[in-house]
Amino acid sequence: MGGVSTAIDITLNSLVLGGVFLIVAIGLNIIYGLSRVMNLAHGSLYALGAYSGYTLVSTGLNFFVALLLAPLLVGVAGLLIERTVIAPMRSRSIVYTLILTYGLMFFIDGLIKYTWGNEPRFIDLPAFMRETLPILGTHYPVFRLMTLLITAVVMAGLMLFLSRTKTGMTLRASSTIPEMVSCLGVNMKYVHIGAFVLGSVLAGIAGIIAGPLTTIDPIMGHEMLISSFVVIVIGGLGSLRGAVIAALLIGAVQTLAEFFITDLAMVIVYMLMAIILAIKPRGILGEGKFE
Amino acid sequence: MARKNKILDIEDIHTYYGESYVIQGLSLYVEEHEAVSILGRNGVGKTTTLRSVMGLTPPREGKIHIDGTQTTRWPAHKVSRMGVAYVPAERHIFPGLSVEENLLLAARPGRGKDAWDLEKVYRQFPILSDRRKQDGSTLSGGEQQMLAIGRALVSNPKIIILDEPSQGRSPLMVEMVTDVVRDFCVASGITLLVVEQNYRMALNVATRHYLMGTKGRIEGIATTSELREDPQIIQNHLAV
Ligand SMILES: Nc1ncnc2c1ncn2[C@@H]1O[C@H](COP(=O)(O)OP(=O)(O)O)[C@@H](O)[C@H]1O
Ligand SMILES: [Mg+2]
Repeated sequence: MGGVSTAIDITLNSLVLGGVFLIVAIGLNIIYGLSRVMNLAHGSLYALGAYSGYTLVSTGLNFFVALLLAPLLVGVAGLLIERTVIAPMRSRSIVYTLILTYGLMFFIDGLIKYTWGNEPRFIDLPAFMRETLPILGTHYPVFRLMTLLITAVVMAGLMLFLSRTKTGMTLRASSTIPEMVSCLGVNMKYVHIGAFVLGSVLAGIAGIIAGPLTTIDPIMGHEMLISSFVVIVIGGLGSLRGAVIAALLIGAVQTLAEFFITDLAMVIVYMLMAIILAIKPRGILGEGKFE
Repeated sequence: MARKNKILDIEDIHTYYGESYVIQGLSLYVEEHEAVSILGRNGVGKTTTLRSVMGLTPPREGKIHIDGTQTTRWPAHKVSRMGVAYVPAERHIFPGLSVEENLLLAARPGRGKDAWDLEKVYRQFPILSDRRKQDGSTLSGGEQQMLAIGRALVSNPKIIILDEPSQGRSPLMVEMVTDVVRDFCVASGITLLVVEQNYRMALNVATRHYLMGTKGRIEGIATTSELREDPQIIQNHLAV
């Protein structure tokens, strides 16, 4: 009986963790797929989402309102970054934005340390979310179940947006033959802005939902950046479906590894990445399938 | 003003790829309702001419007017909004988008009873109607060419610029594409600039022809009847 409920705990934890990886990685992938920018500050935007959420909640705002506001704030930060740092480098090689977003990562991290300090922060959840719910023979925290639900809603919303709206269609087309999209009358500048803001909002969402799962500290973004890299490399650069598979896989591997051999969790994740890349160098689903 | 009825007017453009000087002074025009071809061997600069018009490879010197408006070095989306529909030789059907989505992205409302919309495209190209939910990139080469032309038509453009529609097509397909271009573009009065190496196709759809030599130099201008009367002109021009 104990074994079964542990197994269910581990499965649910894998999904929760995989879901957070997924939202961050999809944001990174959308930015890369649409504007060929590898945003090294993506983890820092995720951290910014968590800290904004923390501040909003600690000023007494309802958690769910913060859940909507924090990602928007990160989206505004993304807009500013795109306009000031990314856009001027658009015509240059990818190395320029790589270096600039690397610098930006330290800038945002510095800003976070300056504003919130080095000590860890905790988001104060509403009482009902701190309880556990009997489910499938185990007692599982309500907040974690909410995280699963939010992940599902975000992903479903994103998929509907991409598949059903004209803007989504334009984004998908832009990830394949951008030049032809301009020839149909679309100003690619707005596609690039839209991609960066959307990616930032997603990082912000992941940040605030991950906040209560882990502690919020100034380096939380670094680990997440690496994990989401692993996800998009395994899944295939620019591939959205690949990211889904890879995020769940990495979520599961990391959860299992942490349960059995805590210290080696990340090592095992990298080994898995090395093995998958040795077999499929372009990731599970290959590059650029934006669907 | 004589320029009034010229839908496209290219005046002495010079276009480069980096240091490579590809179009060394080219002038041509297309009048309203006219179907014009550029005939030339591989590598003379036909595609570059069209890319210059679209602003994809903007000319360093010279002027381009579209329907009287100076559009030289405008970005492609602004040129497109002037009413220019570009059908590249690669066709560039968006993979991952259905036939219908490919058309929807291009659709723009048109005026008059001859205006094109999705329904009209489906009526005229039943094969596209049958496959409307299918991924556009899974269509055969010929079907993709139909889709690319359909995508140009639904934008209700002033002019369609068509890059080598017969490239890589079987003779039967070339005939089909020729019919489509003639019936839907030329006969309905849409202005057309078509680039070809296949002179049969060009003679069948266009009435006036620019014979392009290396570096985009125009070596002659002839009407279809002149070229039919003296096939030697084309033989000499297209001979390697
Ligand atoms: N992207 C490019 N970079 C450099 N040179 C190019 C490029 N595209 C074409 N060229 C060169 O420009 C010349 C004209 O090419 P193009 O316009 O494609 O000819 P055509 O369409 O008549 O076959 C050719 O010599 C070709 O090699
Ligand atoms: Mg060509």
